[in-house]
Amino acid sequence: MSLFDLSPAAHPPAHVPASTPTAVAVKGLEKSFARREVLRGLDWTVPAGRVIGLLGRNGAGKTTLLRCLLGLSPLDRGEIALFGEPMTEPGGERMHRIGFVPQTFDLFPWMKVRAYLDFTAAFYARWNTALANRLVGDWQLDPKQKIGQLSQGQRQKLAIVRAIAPEPDLLVLDEPVASLDPQARRAFMAELLELMRGPDKTVIFSTHITADLERAEADIALLRDGRIQFTRPLAELRARLRRVVFTRDGGWPQAPVVAGLLKSTVKGERAELLVEDPLPESLQALAAREGATVQWETPTLEDLFVELA
Amino acid sequence: MKAIWQLSLLLWRQMAVLVGLAGLMWLGGVGLLAWSDGGDAGQTGTALGLVAFGGWFWHLGQGQMLRGLCRPESYLLPRFRPRLAGAGTLDLAVWVVLPCIVAGLRGLPHVLIAASGLLLVAAAGLASGSGRRVGLFLWIGFIAVGWKPHLAARLARVAEVSPWTPLLLALVALLVFRLALRPLLRIEDIEPDTSPLDSTGLGRMQSQAMQGRPARGAIGKHIQGWFDGMAQRAMERALSAYRRNPGARQRMTLIRSLLLPHDNPQAIALRLVLVTAIVGAYFFAVLHRPHYNAAVIGAYAVLLSLTRFPQLGRGMLRMRPNLADLYLTLAPESRADYQRTLVHALLLLVPVTVLSALAYTALGIVLVHATEPGRMLLTAAIVAAAASLVALAVHLIGPEGSFGRSLVNIVVVLGAMASYWGGYVLLGLIGATLGGALLALVAISFGLGVWFAAQREYQRRAPCFDPPPA
Repeated sequence: MSLFDLSPAAHPPAHVPASTPTAVAVKGLEKSFARREVLRGLDWTVPAGRVIGLLGRNGAGKTTLLRCLLGLSPLDRGEIALFGEPMTEPGGERMHRIGFVPQTFDLFPWMKVRAYLDFTAAFYARWNTALANRLVGDWQLDPKQKIGQLSQGQRQKLAIVRAIAPEPDLLVLDEPVASLDPQARRAFMAELLELMRGPDKTVIFSTHITADLERAEADIALLRDGRIQFTRPLAELRARLRRVVFTRDGGWPQAPVVAGLLKSTVKGERAELLVEDPLPESLQALAAREGATVQWETPTLEDLFVELA
Repeated sequence: MKAIWQLSLLLWRQMAVLVGLAGLMWLGGVGLLAWSDGGDAGQTGTALGLVAFGGWFWHLGQGQMLRGLCRPESYLLPRFRPRLAGAGTLDLAVWVVLPCIVAGLRGLPHVLIAASGLLLVAAAGLASGSGRRVGLFLWIGFIAVGWKPHLAARLARVAEVSPWTPLLLALVALLVFRLALRPLLRIEDIEPDTSPLDSTGLGRMQSQAMQGRPARGAIGKHIQGWFDGMAQRAMERALSAYRRNPGARQRMTLIRSLLLPHDNPQAIALRLVLVTAIVGAYFFAVLHRPHYNAAVIGAYAVLLSLTRFPQLGRGMLRMRPNLADLYLTLAPESRADYQRTLVHALLLLVPVTVLSALAYTALGIVLVHATEPGRMLLTAAIVAAAASLVALAVHLIGPEGSFGRSLVNIVVVLGAMASYWGGYVLLGLIGATLGGALLALVAISFGLGVWFAAQREYQRRAPCFDPPPA
C-alpha cells in the first residue's frame, strides 16, 4: 500500500489498534472565504492518543481546519465529530476536555496575567494550578503584567499555559511555537510530551518547525489543495521514503523514472528524486545503465515538507 | 458559581471608573428609595432616575465588555453561555429586581412599571454598548416624544394606569436584549480589519475597547465595501500618476492615499451624502422647529467635522508598528524629513474638515431655513479651519493615554463650538466683513500658531514605531 493513498480513514496507520477510540473525525469538510475555496471535501480521522503534526504551506488552510474542528468557524458543508459527538459549535461537557492555542492571542489585552488565569480556571472542572504556576514561573511571565503589555512570544506562552492547565484530552495548537525562543520551544515540547503520557491524550498542532515534530515523534498530516493528503507516523515516513541522487557528467535532459517516484528535480549533473520504497538493486542497475553514480539517504522531515507540500 | 463571579468581575476589572460612577448612582438611587415614604413623587422619581441612569451607563459598559469577550475562542470555555446567562441574571437582580423590591417594601406605586422600565433601560444600554443598531431604534421613541410632546404626555398618563404597560415594556426589553445579544452569541468568521485611519463615518465614536472589531450589519458592510473600493481606485490613480511623473506632489498624493484611504474626493462625497441622509432624517423627524438657533447648528456642524481627529489620534497610535515599513520605503534623508512628510500628508485633513463643516452647515441652513446663511457659512469656515489646525496639532503631539487624549479632545471640541458661537455673535455685531476679518485674524492666527509649534515639536521628535501600550 502506498503512503499516499488519499483515503486515510479507510487505511488507518498499522500500529493503531482497531479498538482505539477516535478523537476527531471529519467528513466532506468544505470551507470558503469570499469565493476562495480553502478546504475541499476534506476527510480526516485522528485516533485518540496520537500527536499529530499538521503540515502545509502558508495559506493551505491549516488555521481554518483547526478552527473548524473546534467549531470556531462555521462550516460550508461537511461533518465534524469530536470524541464521537457532532461538533456543530463549541458546547457541552466535552469542552472540559479540549485545549486550544490560537495562532495569535489577542483576548483581554487589559487583563493581568494572573487575573486571566484565575478567570479561565473558574470555568474548568479540572485545573492544574501547580502546573500553571510552575509554567508561569519557569517561563518568566509576570502575573501582575497586563496581557497587552506582553510580547507576542510571552502571549503565546500564556496561551499555552492556559491550554495545558486543564489537562485536556484533546489539545489543538495553531503554530504554537512560532513566536517562542528556542529555550521556551524546548520547554514547551517537553511539557507537551509529558502531557501526552496520559492515556488517550491527543495533540494536533500545526507548525513549520519540523524539528519539533521529529522530537515529538509525531504522526505527520499533510494538508494540500484543501485536503489531507496523508496522515502517517514519522517513523513510517522515514522507513519508506528515500532521497535518491543520480549524478553524471553530461547532466540530465529529464529525470530518470523509477518505481515509487514521488517527485524529481534536475539540477545540472544531479537528478534528485524522492522515492517511496526504493529497491537498491533497481537503483544500482539504473545508475549503471545511465552511466551515473547513485546514492540515497533518509530525507529529513523538512526535506519531505519542501518536496511534498 | 466561581465562573459566574469571574464573569461579573470583568466589568470591574476593565472599566473601574465607570463601575465606580454607576455604583454610586445605584447606591444613591436605592438609598433614596429606602428613605422614601412613598408620598414624595419627586424624590421617588429622582431615585428611580438615578438607578435608571446608572443602569444605562453600567450596561453601556457591559455591552462594550461583551464585544471584547464574545469572541469565538471564548466559547471554548466550558458552559460559557449558561454561565454568561448566570452573570446576566445576577446583573439584572442588582439593577432591576433589588431596587424594585426596595421600592415595593416602601410601598411606592407603579413598581411593576418601574421594574420593566429599568429592564428596558438595561437593554438599551447593552444594545448601545455592544454597538448594535438596535440601540438607535430606541432613540426613535425619544424622537417621537420630542416631536409630539403633548401626545406623548397623554400616552404616558394612559400607560401609567394600564395593566398592559409593564408587560409591553418587558417584551420590548426582551426583544432588544435578543437583538443585541444574538449576534454576539453567534460564532462567525473574523472579519478582516480595516485601516486604523479609515474614515467612513461609521462607528467613529466607538470606544477604544472596540478598536479593530467594527460591528457591521449588512448595510454597514456594503458601505464599507464602497469606501474600500474608492480607496483602492484612489490608490491606483495615485500610483499610475506617480509612475507617469514621479514628482514630489505625486509622491505626496501616494502617501496620502496610503495613510488616509478614505479622504479622496469620492469617499468624501459619499461621506457627505451619508451624513446628509442621517442628519436630514433626524431633522425632519425631531428638530423641524421654526425658531432654531443658528449658532447651535453651526457649532454642531463644526463638532461633527472635528470627530475625525480623535480617530486619527488613535489610528496613528495603532499604525505605529506598520509605519516602520513606510519609513523604510520612503528612505528619508533624516528622521525629521520623515516626520515632515507625515505632517504634510496629514495636513490634507484641514481642508477636508473645512469642507465638511461647510457642507454640514449648509445642510443645517437648508433644514432650519436659516435667515443668515452667509454669516453662518463664513463663521463655520473660519472656525473649522482654526479648530482643525489645533485638533491636528494636539493629536500629533498630545498625550498618548486614552484619558489625556479624551480630555484634550473635549477641550478642543468645546473650544471650537464656543468659538463658533462667539464668532457668529461678533459677525452679527460688527458686520460680516469686519467681523469676519477680525475673527479670521484671531482664530486663524491662533490655529496657525499652535500648528506651527506642534509641527516643529513633531519634527524634533524621533519617529516611534513601538506598538501602543495596552
